Amino acid sequence: MRKAKTLRVAVALAAVSGLMAVSGCAANAPSGGGGGGANSLEITSWWTSGSESDALNVLIAAVKKNDPGLTVDNAAVSGGGGANARQALAARLQAGSPPDTWQLHPAGQLKSYVAGGQVADLTALWTENNWAAQLPKDVAQAQQVNGKYYTVPIGIHRGNVLWTNPKVLAKAGVTIDPAAGIDGLISGLQKVKASGTTPLCLGDKDIFASSQLLESILMSRVGADNWKKLFTNEYSFGAPEVKQALQDYKTILSLANTDHSALTWDEAVKKMADGSCAASLMGDWAYGELLNAGKKPGTDFSWVVFPGKADIFDYVGDGFSIPAKNIPHAAAAQAWLKTLMDPKVQTAFAAKKGSIPAMTTADISSLSQYQQQAAKSLATGAVVSSLAQGQAASAEFAQTYADAVSTLNGGGSDAAFIATMTQAQATQLK
Amino acid sequence: MTTSAAPPQALPPVRPPRPAKARKKIAHNVRTSRRAAWIFAPSLLASFIFVYVFIGITAYISLSNWKIGTSPDLSLRTPLGGTYSEIVKEQRFQADIRNVVVFTVLFLLLAILGGLVAALFIHHVSMGKSFFRTVFLLPYALSFIVTGVAWRWIFSPSTGVNEILRAIGIQNPPGWTTDTTILGALNNPNGTDFLKIQFGIPVALLPIIFAAAWQLVGFAMAMYLAGLASIPEEHLEAASVDGASTWQRLRYIVLPQLWPSTITCFVLLLHVALKIFDLVVAMSGSGPGFVTDVPGIYIYNYLASRYDKASAMSIILLLLTLAVVVPYLVRGYRRERKA
Repeated sequence: MRKAKTLRVAVALAAVSGLMAVSGCAANAPSGGGGGGANSLEITSWWTSGSESDALNVLIAAVKKNDPGLTVDNAAVSGGGGANARQALAARLQAGSPPDTWQLHPAGQLKSYVAGGQVADLTALWTENNWAAQLPKDVAQAQQVNGKYYTVPIGIHRGNVLWTNPKVLAKAGVTIDPAAGIDGLISGLQKVKASGTTPLCLGDKDIFASSQLLESILMSRVGADNWKKLFTNEYSFGAPEVKQALQDYKTILSLANTDHSALTWDEAVKKMADGSCAASLMGDWAYGELLNAGKKPGTDFSWVVFPGKADIFDYVGDGFSIPAKNIPHAAAAQAWLKTLMDPKVQTAFAAKKGSIPAMTTADISSLSQYQQQAAKSLATGAVVSSLAQGQAASAEFAQTYADAVSTLNGGGSDAAFIATMTQAQATQLK
Repeated sequence: MTTSAAPPQALPPVRPPRPAKARKKIAHNVRTSRRAAWIFAPSLLASFIFVYVFIGITAYISLSNWKIGTSPDLSLRTPLGGTYSEIVKEQRFQADIRNVVVFTVLFLLLAILGGLVAALFIHHVSMGKSFFRTVFLLPYALSFIVTGVAWRWIFSPSTGVNEILRAIGIQNPPGWTTDTTILGALNNPNGTDFLKIQFGIPVALLPIIFAAAWQLVGFAMAMYLAGLASIPEEHLEAASVDGASTWQRLRYIVLPQLWPSTITCFVLLLHVALKIFDLVVAMSGSGPGFVTDVPGIYIYNYLASRYDKASAMSIILLLLTLAVVVPYLVRGYRRERKA
């Protein structure tokens, strides 16, 4: 009898937990087209970490200030560098119940939405407000597909920054001069190794950290113009400069910590700041991570642009788009986009996010020393899109590249990498 | 019906056992079986749609040109099955198949043997039975993500268990999940062959297999405990009287009677092994050169960029499962018919 009762309790518990799981899913599901009444705005993004959600809240506060009656539904999805959020968005777009606006990287990622006819043409809004004149030319270009604007840029990150530990470098008697190029970097790192410290910290448990390193080397070797041509198939991955870059990559990888595939990128940059190694390549989102870990710029860590022939700015952009069809609150979405393109809002956003404002008209004097330097570089250097972040080409091409880098890291040959990428150039760049 | 019609008529209809028997007979006539069909219809329809129709849709997508999730393209790819011939040539795909086979075999061996040993131990221990049972079952109650994060710290080469190994004087402790060596490699690809990977046991996979087995040993143990409880005490006593040693009793009485438990464990754990995803994501990700990549991660990665490829991999995963489960089901079905 008691046993039967226990069984019944167990079944009831299982049923309740099942229900909880179902309702948990329901909580994640879209709240439907008309959620929150007439005057509301639903925003999807993958900004959930401390600095990111602070930055998003700056934007939400700004749009609410312009329209005090507005209710904002922050539907951020965490994890996977935005992969989870993009999956969730794709499902909603397919189901015909999109949010009012969503976060995305421009260029390549934008293309897939344009191809699917999901993203609204914003060209009229751009011309009306004359936004193109207030942005660097390459940045404005990246918001277009076939000459039409589909997104607005809120902030700009730089992917090719070499973060360094000044104490470790001083001990080894090494200075890293960006103008000395890759060869200078390698000889500097080898000197660090001779002094008994690991030269480079890398954390590529998520392969994008390695993709980013190879990307930076490639840009430095082939130059900004040829980098762009890689994605229009006017420049081949079989070029001698690419082969040279792959050689450099293997050399630099051999100078990195041996446990790199067990670490994440943030663990790696913190290791560098702790003095375990001399340098670490990562996008400038590492800056905020290091500050959060209590490291002081200038003493615990410093930075140089990744060495190369010229000053290349590896552009990783954040922007917002609105849906072409089934938009629940069109007016609020338009107001949102206009708020984003307010120089004051861009400055306030950048202060929280650690990025730099996209608009050249934004005041950067209140931002950190790093951000001011990066903003200067954005204005004067050659701006190119990141492939590791899925911005330079389609998602498929970016995935092929990430897989090829994984293979390379597992001991794959340069020839195999070149073969995979040239084939991708021939078949995936349409 | 006609032959048995006479005796019931002869019996008075008021006796209590009668209605029960009569009801049993009604259960097989056409009207009630039609009613039964109606009762079953919704669940049959639901499982038909949500299982078989969706499998069909996935199979169709794997043959189509649908690349990006948000822009459906349902035209069939030419040549038909081009996606399959594309992915089998990939280094990543080949590594995934190798990994999932190695993972499944070693994981099943470890988990089932471990479960058997734990169950025998608990069955024969006289004190703290329920304590040990809880200890072994506890990991099973946790999620793979939670244990995966803990195992990742344990097997982190620069910290974790290697700190202990260094402290006891081992100079070069293993790299665990970062090791790219393949044990007992059967081939050495030269880069131009169809085979782009070394077939063998990837060393990086071993910590993950160990972690997965640790987590599911409790499940296998519970299965075996149930099996052990159903072995009649008399069999063992009779064997003891005949002078059988402990080992002989185990070998000739206990193990043969546990065979059904083993089969059930095998089938239930098999799908855990083939679908493994979260534990690998938490512990190591794809690994350098895909030494720890599994089909689950492949599908997840390609869902955003190549719908057709992700679907093709899902179908291949399904076929892998069917290859093992179908013979088991056929065997069970045949037995049922014999009985």
